Amino acid sequence: MAEKTILVIDDDIDLVEIIRVTLENQGFKVIDAQTGARGLAMAKEQDPDLILLDVMMGKVDEGFQVAYQLRSDDVTAETPILMLTAVTDQTGFDFDPARDKDFLPVNEFLEKPVSPRDLVDMIRKHLPTSV
Amino acid sequence: MRNDLRNPNEPIAPASSQFVSAASLRARLDWFNKLRWGAAFGVMAVVLIAGVGLKAPIEVRGLMLTGAVLLLLNTAYELRNRRFKAVDIAVELRLVKVQMVCDLLALTVLLNLSGGVENPLLFLYVIHVIIASLLFKGREIFQIAWLAIFLFTADVFGEYFGLLPHHHLPTAGEVAHELSFVLMTLGSFWLVILFCAYVGALIMKHNRSIKDELAARQAVLLAEDRAKTDFFRFVTHEIKSPVNTAQSGVETALELGGESMAPSVRDVLERAIGRLKQATKIIQDLADLTRGGILKEENLTEVDFNDLVSAAVDDQRDLAARSSLAMNVLLPDPPIILTTIRNMAETIVANLVNNSIRYNREGGRVSVRLVDTGKRVRLVVEDQGIGIAEEEQDLIFDEFYRSTEARETSTLGTGLGLAIVRKFVEELGGTIEVDSTVGRGSTFTVTLPRKSRKRRR
Repeated sequence: MAEKTILVIDDDIDLVEIIRVTLENQGFKVIDAQTGARGLAMAKEQDPDLILLDVMMGKVDEGFQVAYQLRSDDVTAETPILMLTAVTDQTGFDFDPARDKDFLPVNEFLEKPVSPRDLVDMIRKHLPTSV
Repeated sequence: MRNDLRNPNEPIAPASSQFVSAASLRARLDWFNKLRWGAAFGVMAVVLIAGVGLKAPIEVRGLMLTGAVLLLLNTAYELRNRRFKAVDIAVELRLVKVQMVCDLLALTVLLNLSGGVENPLLFLYVIHVIIASLLFKGREIFQIAWLAIFLFTADVFGEYFGLLPHHHLPTAGEVAHELSFVLMTLGSFWLVILFCAYVGALIMKHNRSIKDELAARQAVLLAEDRAKTDFFRFVTHEIKSPVNTAQSGVETALELGGESMAPSVRDVLERAIGRLKQATKIIQDLADLTRGGILKEENLTEVDFNDLVSAAVDDQRDLAARSSLAMNVLLPDPPIILTTIRNMAETIVANLVNNSIRYNREGGRVSVRLVDTGKRVRLVVEDQGIGIAEEEQDLIFDEFYRSTEARETSTLGTGLGLAIVRKFVEELGGTIEVDSTVGRGSTFTVTLPRKSRKRRR
């Protein structure tokens, strides 16, 4: 099985490194970006197998904006996106990707702090099986 | 031991009085005492000048005696006040009432001795009634008013029917040309008019200053509250990311190290995770506390409150079993359906049940009752635990406040649980009360409306 590439878009460099260690240990290849713009560019260039996206970076809705743009790009339209959130405690409403599919263009929400085991399980669940 | 909002050091005022403390009543009484000195000396001076100096045919002896009795009473009262500090409002007010009755009697005797219905000093009754209305309340004011009416009427009719002696004022014929009568009438008139104006102004000034002070305090409290909320929100937001990342980091280290790690290293990392989880809980609680405007129409759903309560209790049965606690749950039939916000209702029940377990005694009992009261529903969570001292019962709902007993019992606990419960209960349009005795246990009673709705602000 070919090495799967995960793109991590998060402005928390420490978290990115922690995730990198976890995922590389599981045999994934990790590429990362600290801004939404950079993340979009990398997604287009390198066509990762899955994208881990932080919900809030510089701006409150930057993660969402990035997700919409990823979905509207031919290269990444079908790429699974897992969104890392700490947003439930900010806005007070719970996301449900199944219920809110129409306006939330992501496959899953992972609430921070995500344990390494859950993270890996979730990535495996959403990775396309046949590439 | 109901929990109500007052300073426990302040003596309780009886329902009949409008004074907050015995000391503030005493301050006002001192002022009236000065008035009485003036009145008694004034009467005696006028009688001496008119009766002895000008040799007017008046009842000098009787009038002087009445003045002297008044002076004597006032002296006794002053001496007693200097001797004893004001403690009990009820006692002070009773004494004042005795004083007031004596004053009215003395005034009536004075009037009887100086012409009765002829004497315009009868206006002085008005002053007494005004003083009574400043000191007393409701029925008591009218008791004084009726006593004044009774005394003067009795004197006038008594003199008219010859039952009482009439002491004719030294005025002859046409009173309008009698200087003494004119001066006395005008004097009484001036006195009463000015006194009324003065007292009215005093009351209104006092009233206004209280209103202004209340408004100012309210504004300060609101601003402080807003600043506090903003601060919490800011802190929560800023602290959340580093804590989350730290937790992920330690968990990752633990995961990667696996079995190859020395048990002592593993133990240290696990402890670190435990504390980070605690921090996350505080952050989560703070976020709950500072989030506003959650109660939106679209968030309201119909919730089977019976189910919600039993689920919340079941979630914590393991925790209760660790302290060998008995859990009694009493739910009404048919089940209660609430229109509410599910996760807020869940948090309310969960936090109260959790407290009743954590602050219980080994082998104690937790009792959770749901009572249908028609338009509202009552949730009662009772424990047999450490209890809360009466003076702390108001404070336990404040952010980060943990009672003395709670701090001694458990180092865990953020001090935010009850603050969140109160906020959520109020947000849903309900009320919360605590009834507790130290060493015997606490009972929290939450009342929620059947249908929560957005409050108008």
